[in-house]
Amino acid sequence: MPRTTTLECSGCPPLRALTFDALGLIKVVEARDKQRGAPLVVERWGDPESSKCVMAVSMIDRKSHPLLAVARKNNQIEVLSPVNGDIQATISDANDLDVQSEENNIVGLHLFAKQNSELAFRDCTLLTCTTKGNASIRSIELADSSKGSSCIKTWNVCSGGNILCCKVDGNEKFALFGGKCVEMNIWDLNNFTKIWNSKPPTKDNLGIFTPTCFTSATFLMKDDHRKFVAGTNSHQVRLYDVSAQRRPVLSFDFRETPIKALAEDIDGYSIYVGNGSGDMASVDIRTGKMLGCFSGKCSGSIRSIVKHPELPVIASCGLDSYLRLWDTKTRQLLSAVFLKQHIIHVLFDSNFDVKVADLLPCNEQTPTEILVSKEVEGSPLKRKKSSRNKPDGGERKKRSKQSKERKESKENDGWEKIASRDERSKSASKKGNKAQFQCCDLDVD
Amino acid sequence: MGGKRKKSDDDDDVEAEAEASGWKKKTRTTSEREKEKKEPLRPSMIKNKEKRSELHAKLKHQKKLEKRAKAKARDAALKKALELGEEPPEKKVPRTIENTRELDETVCKPDDEELFAGNDADEFGPILNQQQTPKILITTCRFHSTRGPAFISELLSVIPNAHYFKRGTYDLKKIVEYAKKKDFTSIIVVHTNRREPDALLIIGVPDGPTAHFKLSKLVLRKDIKNHGNPTGHKPELVLNNFTTRLGHRVGRLIQSLFPQDPEFKGRRVVTFHNQRDFIFFRHHRYIFETKEVKKAESKGKKDKDGESENVPEQKTIARLQECGPRFTLKLISLQHGTFDTKGGEYEWVHKPEMDTSRRRFFL
Repeated sequence: MPRTTTLECSGCPPLRALTFDALGLIKVVEARDKQRGAPLVVERWGDPESSKCVMAVSMIDRKSHPLLAVARKNNQIEVLSPVNGDIQATISDANDLDVQSEENNIVGLHLFAKQNSELAFRDCTLLTCTTKGNASIRSIELADSSKGSSCIKTWNVCSGGNILCCKVDGNEKFALFGGKCVEMNIWDLNNFTKIWNSKPPTKDNLGIFTPTCFTSATFLMKDDHRKFVAGTNSHQVRLYDVSAQRRPVLSFDFRETPIKALAEDIDGYSIYVGNGSGDMASVDIRTGKMLGCFSGKCSGSIRSIVKHPELPVIASCGLDSYLRLWDTKTRQLLSAVFLKQHIIHVLFDSNFDVKVADLLPCNEQTPTEILVSKEVEGSPLKRKKSSRNKPDGGERKKRSKQSKERKESKENDGWEKIASRDERSKSASKKGNKAQFQCCDLDVD
Repeated sequence: MGGKRKKSDDDDDVEAEAEASGWKKKTRTTSEREKEKKEPLRPSMIKNKEKRSELHAKLKHQKKLEKRAKAKARDAALKKALELGEEPPEKKVPRTIENTRELDETVCKPDDEELFAGNDADEFGPILNQQQTPKILITTCRFHSTRGPAFISELLSVIPNAHYFKRGTYDLKKIVEYAKKKDFTSIIVVHTNRREPDALLIIGVPDGPTAHFKLSKLVLRKDIKNHGNPTGHKPELVLNNFTTRLGHRVGRLIQSLFPQDPEFKGRRVVTFHNQRDFIFFRHHRYIFETKEVKKAESKGKKDKDGESENVPEQKTIARLQECGPRFTLKLISLQHGTFDTKGGEYEWVHKPEMDTSRRRFFL
């Protein structure tokens, strides 16, 4: 695994991220200090078990009563509280198991933040989609999981092929599906009808026709369901406009391995692309030009890229077991956390910082744990250094002094950066508050 | 010598005084003398080759004398300490590239419970828990030379339960499907280029991973002097220095090629030694004295766990005879899942910008 030196990381603003790995563990990574900003794993939820590998996650990120839904490899869906990881409801997919005995994992999962008038009697509503294309909307009562889930609607998205990506737009009225031998199609979630289907591009001048395999997709804006970006297995990024035509409006290649992760930016025309060999870039989707690369830091496949809704930070994780935090403007690596397993998904819990005051008794215990972990981490390093470097103590001391000076200078720079980011975050929070007041009817995420 | 030089200098001065242009020469000589006094005399400053080489020889001799004096002083101090009953002075540890390696946070720790849970859950779990017998399919690349099959015939004698199939014109993806049907656990593809094997592809079946190694320094059995001929017993496996997570994973991949119950009667050892990200393959027979048989058994048990250990190199304990082949591997990429060049994703790819230091290693 590549190791990024501590001199390069300048630290990140205070934030909280949830990571989901291949053993089914959920790890909470928090950066609390405004000065250092080195994120640490503060909590670990669940027991390591390979049958509980996380396949899909979805989260309602709001201040009051946030919810987190996790779909696992044994076709089990858990609804958790992202504050402390308590399981509030569990769905064991007995229906699908009875119908089909083949491997039919859940590839798409969405928790609906809005509550329609029809579904007011239930607490939360889920949309799931499996590999074979069985999509279903079900609602579940959080208090009594013994009653089970009532399946509202089940339909088949595709007759053949495998679904690999599934996305719901910001208004939660339309869903996007695509996969291997399945063209991108948009479904109306109110009427359960397919309203749009994409068309494969024409053959090139050599007569070569590329088979269809979509690996990732995302909508460009939260309010607009007509524009979305899709990444294919043949390392192509395509922009589709539903109102214009069925073929891609814009199409360009990125490196040489399949596009594994796509994320949109807040401005509506920038996207972040991650591929199977660990390359990551920022692209302007209006022109197809690459704004810049997040270069040289990753060596494993990138499985998930997430943009923080308020701070200029994005998180990426993948098969090299690292969670990396990048600055979106300078494209520099802010921090990297080694999490020991293949990480499948990462999510930001952006409304958790406001609750720090409310959770003071809980926070009193965790700093001691952090201190203990720091001490435990510190002592073996000291022992190693002392055992190895006794004959050359002088030179090592000189080098350590130089490195300390460098760290101090960079820490000062980090302070200035963090201060400016705090100002930005304050302005962002103000804007967010205004937006919330204005759009209280819509209940945007 | 010094005296002679002084006399010659005096003669030059006398001659200079006699000549008409004596003033200029006098100034030059004085400036030269001042330069010599200010800076220590270096051989490279002397133009004359004979004088320069003489001075260089003198300095070299002085350094040699100083070194001997230091060694004598060290030995004398050691003897004095031993006579007085004190502890001997601490022996200095030389600084090598291995022990000044950059710190890596992915190094596996022995008390990591997640590591053990991950080991139980990975692709090699059924083989390493002895629930499944390893069965290896070995093949070549599409167009190969005669060195490929010769190397493969020696690999067949090294790896138990290995089967060689001719490549023909089959795609590697179809070979993987065939291996899945026939319940193979691994596929080894030997790639040859310019009549020499230069790459090794190890594919785990049915769920991967795929490791692509660069193969170099291949020496076959016939080219090893006084080589031994291996028996049919199952060999012991020694894996050294696979420390990081990536190295641990590669070590388990290599471990899944060999059976987990070695036969110690045959006295065969297969060694994969990792040093500076190069994996050295050696195949030996060994002979112990009768007193040391217990140590061999304990080592065998450790080999089962896959831990790294060093074979004692004392000649009176174990005598080694190399059976061959002998080659060196270097990891180029580790791919998630089975072999797929177009749509596959990598767990680790070597990129040129990752080599930031001479002391940075990944395995």
